[in-house]
Amino acid sequence: MFISKLAIPRRTFLRGVGASLALPLLDAMIPAATAFAKTASRPMRTGFMYIPHGADMASWTPAASGADFELSPTLKVLEPLRDSLVVVTNLKRAGGVAEMHAAASSGWLSGAVPKHTEGEDYRIGTTIDQLLARQIGQASQFPSIEFATEDYTGYVGGCTPGYACAYQNTISWATPTTPLPMEINPRTAFERLFGDGGSAASRRRIAEEDRSILDSIAGEARKLQGGLGVHDRTRVADYLDHVREIERRIQTAETQHTTALSVIDKPLGIPDAFEEHAALMFDLLTMALQSEQTRVFTFMMSREGSQRTFGEIGVADPWHVVSHHGDQAEKVARAAKINALCVGLFARFIEKLKNTPDGDGTLLDHSLMFYGSGMGNSNVHATDPLPMLAMGGGLGKGNRHVVLPAKTEIGNLWLSVANRFGASLEKFGESTGTVDLF
Amino acid sequence: MRTKISVLATFAACAVFSAVDARAAVDSQTKEALDQYCVTCHNARLKTGGLVLDTASLEHVAADPGTWEKVVRKLRLGVMPPLGARRPDAATYDRLISSLEGELDAASVAHPYPGRPVLHRLNRAEYSNAIRDLLGLHVDVSSLLPPDDSAYGFDNVADVLGSSPALLQAYLGAARKISTIAVGDARVGVNRDTYTARQDLSQDQHLEGLPPGTQGGLAATHTFPVDGEYEFQLRLWRTNLSAIRGLQDPHQVEIALDGERILLATIGGNDDLVHLQQNPTTTSDDLEAKRLRVRVHVKAGSRTVTAAFLEETPWTLETMRLQPFLRDFSNPFAAEGAPHVQSLSVQGPYNVEPVGRPPSATLFVCRPGANVTEASCARRIVTTIARRAYRRPLEPSEVDGLVAFYKEGRRTGGSFDAGVEFALRRVLASPSFVFRPEKEPETVALATPYRIGEYELASRLSFFLWSSIPDDELLRVAAAGTLSKPEILRTQVTRMLADPKSSALVENFAGQWLQLRNLRGITPNPETYPDFDDNLRQAFRTEAELFFGSVIHEDRSVLDLMTASDTFVNERLAKQYGIPDVFGSYFRRVTLADDARRGLLGKGAVLLVTSHATTTSPVRRGKFILENILGSPPPPPPPDVPALKEPAPGAAPRTMREQMEQHRTIPGCAGCHKTMDPLGFALENFDIDARWRTKNVGGFALDASDVMPDGTRIDGVVGLRQALLRRPEVFVQTLAEKLLVYAVGRGLTPEDMAAVRGIVRSARGQNYKFSSLVNAIVSSVPFQMRMKELGSES
Repeated sequence: MFISKLAIPRRTFLRGVGASLALPLLDAMIPAATAFAKTASRPMRTGFMYIPHGADMASWTPAASGADFELSPTLKVLEPLRDSLVVVTNLKRAGGVAEMHAAASSGWLSGAVPKHTEGEDYRIGTTIDQLLARQIGQASQFPSIEFATEDYTGYVGGCTPGYACAYQNTISWATPTTPLPMEINPRTAFERLFGDGGSAASRRRIAEEDRSILDSIAGEARKLQGGLGVHDRTRVADYLDHVREIERRIQTAETQHTTALSVIDKPLGIPDAFEEHAALMFDLLTMALQSEQTRVFTFMMSREGSQRTFGEIGVADPWHVVSHHGDQAEKVARAAKINALCVGLFARFIEKLKNTPDGDGTLLDHSLMFYGSGMGNSNVHATDPLPMLAMGGGLGKGNRHVVLPAKTEIGNLWLSVANRFGASLEKFGESTGTVDLF
Repeated sequence: MRTKISVLATFAACAVFSAVDARAAVDSQTKEALDQYCVTCHNARLKTGGLVLDTASLEHVAADPGTWEKVVRKLRLGVMPPLGARRPDAATYDRLISSLEGELDAASVAHPYPGRPVLHRLNRAEYSNAIRDLLGLHVDVSSLLPPDDSAYGFDNVADVLGSSPALLQAYLGAARKISTIAVGDARVGVNRDTYTARQDLSQDQHLEGLPPGTQGGLAATHTFPVDGEYEFQLRLWRTNLSAIRGLQDPHQVEIALDGERILLATIGGNDDLVHLQQNPTTTSDDLEAKRLRVRVHVKAGSRTVTAAFLEETPWTLETMRLQPFLRDFSNPFAAEGAPHVQSLSVQGPYNVEPVGRPPSATLFVCRPGANVTEASCARRIVTTIARRAYRRPLEPSEVDGLVAFYKEGRRTGGSFDAGVEFALRRVLASPSFVFRPEKEPETVALATPYRIGEYELASRLSFFLWSSIPDDELLRVAAAGTLSKPEILRTQVTRMLADPKSSALVENFAGQWLQLRNLRGITPNPETYPDFDDNLRQAFRTEAELFFGSVIHEDRSVLDLMTASDTFVNERLAKQYGIPDVFGSYFRRVTLADDARRGLLGKGAVLLVTSHATTTSPVRRGKFILENILGSPPPPPPPDVPALKEPAPGAAPRTMREQMEQHRTIPGCAGCHKTMDPLGFALENFDIDARWRTKNVGGFALDASDVMPDGTRIDGVVGLRQALLRRPEVFVQTLAEKLLVYAVGRGLTPEDMAAVRGIVRSARGQNYKFSSLVNAIVSSVPFQMRMKELGSES
């Protein structure tokens, strides 16, 4: 569709290997007090990656605070990337432990407490990603995208009793009552982002054909409108707006033709292995950010209550079972192993951003990425301290371990992020103030 | 909020008071009864329940349908005056109802109200059926289009069928993919589709829809886009250590295409087991890659793919008899037992060949040849397909436009078929296809109802009865301009109900009215209900569908839905219900010996869908009955409900009833729970999984007796059913309301109730046969008319 030949070889792009580029500090580009949205020569991209069942905080939290701290066993893999890393300690999700898994996933980006209901009257809060989508997402084709890896439809007893499944099926809420469904199929995600068709040439052909179809159906819709009643005319007018919106997307795609962008082959479907699946989703996200299909994303790497097993690292019990380890050392170690595996996947993604040129820097320079969970010690569904990593040039300075006052509401973090992006809010979810992150 | 409405309504009533066409006032007896039994509470001073009846004008009942329809509904339900208050005798009570209804109905005859029209869009089911009827293709639309929202209980309500850029983009993509498949375009790329069995499906017995002589497995309808090679990969359930379950013994497994075997493999036995022990991490993958994968040549078209195990030897059956539960396994750690099919993927095409026959059976109504030029044949094809898709004749300019697309496709794609493909893609992306526009003639006056056109009526009919586009016969009658003639309309309805396509009413209407679609998301706690498996879940649904289907297809009285002594069971379901001598996976009609099991209230689907995972829920069941049987849904609970008190630690667990009695002591809750709970308690003998029981989970004897809001004492389901059917028209009216919502695709307003009563009255003479309800609905004002409305456009 809008794919050109590459500035970097496809394999390099895919694997994210090779020499890392020197990181120009973003500080130089953004005066400290100015919102991102207004200044950066290349736009800021932001993403939120969620892991369920918290983490074993003993092997997660670095011992020392401040700069040049020693990385903990779980975070060891981030060593080569530490210059863009800030570990944030002592955050707390809103509410108490009674809401269990439902509150962990739904409260993470909302900083709020889910309404106690199993019915359709579920309610929480607009999530930070959606707030930013309104703030910075409008210029791109997709104001935001939402990914996950787990098909929850066949689950047995997969939702926290008394709470609607929506609280666990997504981490992104467009409004307090609109949970956004998350795409798990890489093939569908690919088609949504880059269009149908196996090759770049066929995608371009299809887009051109779609354009002539759109042109023709717009004419038909206008004609149709004439014979209708007032309400129906309004509906067709909306439809015509959508026709124009799709035409705009095709056009944007064509002008982005010059962007150096490599696109992986269209995935066939959902890979069987978790690592492969997650890596494929990260590849798609990298391409989407690079080509500015979107500037905001959420990725629920796995779902609260997940029964996934990790035979490849010798963890044979389902994740959720492992997470209730009863504080037995041997079981805790298994939970920590899964934590490290997931941080590793995240690290590979960050590395890929670092190896992707973007304007006069890299994609990582123009990124602000968050990785964490809405649960601390999963054994007791702890509300705090939560595991949280922030990465990317958007932080200003990396290589820091920021230890906040105990039980700092996670809403405080999102409030600071929102305002950093120019939102000028006074409260976010259950926030009680702001945090000094930037 | 409610107070505000009634004040406004009262105001409206006064405003019309001096209207010229004032109807005769209701008789003095009615007024007296109202004053005596209603106004003591519902007056301007007390405003009980937000209802004010003393200032509402009895002379002009019809001017305030909002208020008076509410009164009529409460009276019909028998919940007013409340228990303990003075009640009129039965004759006075009935006279009051019929007098008020008479007023409302007479007014509606004078001023028919067709409702607010909203432009409809095809929902996912309708789109899928339309493709089936247009092109003879089975396409999995759920992978192409986003799910639809629903309102008023149905997903075909126009209000919530909006459009969005994402949806439009999905339509474009669907149009392209479907047209590619329809003509068998060789340019189609390699895809993989995966079909999965639920984890809680028992696979130690034969499953319906799978080849005879097999057990377990799964079946799927897959559309092969072109002639070529496809790879089939079967995967089996693994234990938590990633070992295929059941490798201790040899098992034979087959993959078949339209019943013809394309793979037969043996897994398990000594060698495999030894291998597994030596290479625990790789054996299962190896085994699946080497033995459970096959690539074969397949001709284009929609075909049935199955994967299943061959029936096991008696030796294995012997082991299975030791299995303590009906569900064949629930422990994900157990490596022993019957193997399970987990998923079947179809990947392809490879080595594509030119198609012998295009997959769409109906698209190519001609072929260019000696006597037919490409151009004239193309024109014929696009005219035929677009007329069916748009459900109306085409204007010459529209045909020309489509032919232009044909030409463009012919030019760039290099073949006649490529031209047809592009034109078809244009048709499927058309707003005339995905929307259901109904014209508003310029000449009609504001707020004056008018009849919709013949073609529009044909569409309304076919989307109501078939969830799909009209067939050629229906379009022919519409073209003749005779569809709206009552006797012809009746003939068409009879024909359409007899058509297998009318099973859409089961799938889409009953599936939503009875919440059958929600069954898939419900799983009783496996520890308390170890027998529960997907086989039972599916059996519940099949039973309810066959039962509702029999009412349609045999044109039974809809009262049979409540009272019928027959139902449909297979072996699994018969075991659950305690019906002896039913063997095998197929469903058959049986006569119920047990009165308790009769009708919907004894159906597993209804009982399960209204339960929690660990306990039954008298509240949910009561609410279900109020909503779907009595047509009087309770309002949502107030926002500040205090939590029910937990029993003190160490105290004896209370019965469900003791817990619920608490509700009735809290003023904010009592009003509704007094109505809801007795209905639900009467069903307490049915466990979550529909088994009959006399004790609850805690071992307490069950008490299914209670007092209905009108004072009737009931004990158990039989008494409840009799009480519910004391006024059979209440149930029929509820069903008629639901059917009308579904038929016209919008929520009903008080102004519609006169039409609903008209439908019930007209069906009464025919013992409420299903067809009599349908005939009355399609003849009604809301179904046949529209009205020009003042808009806010400009």
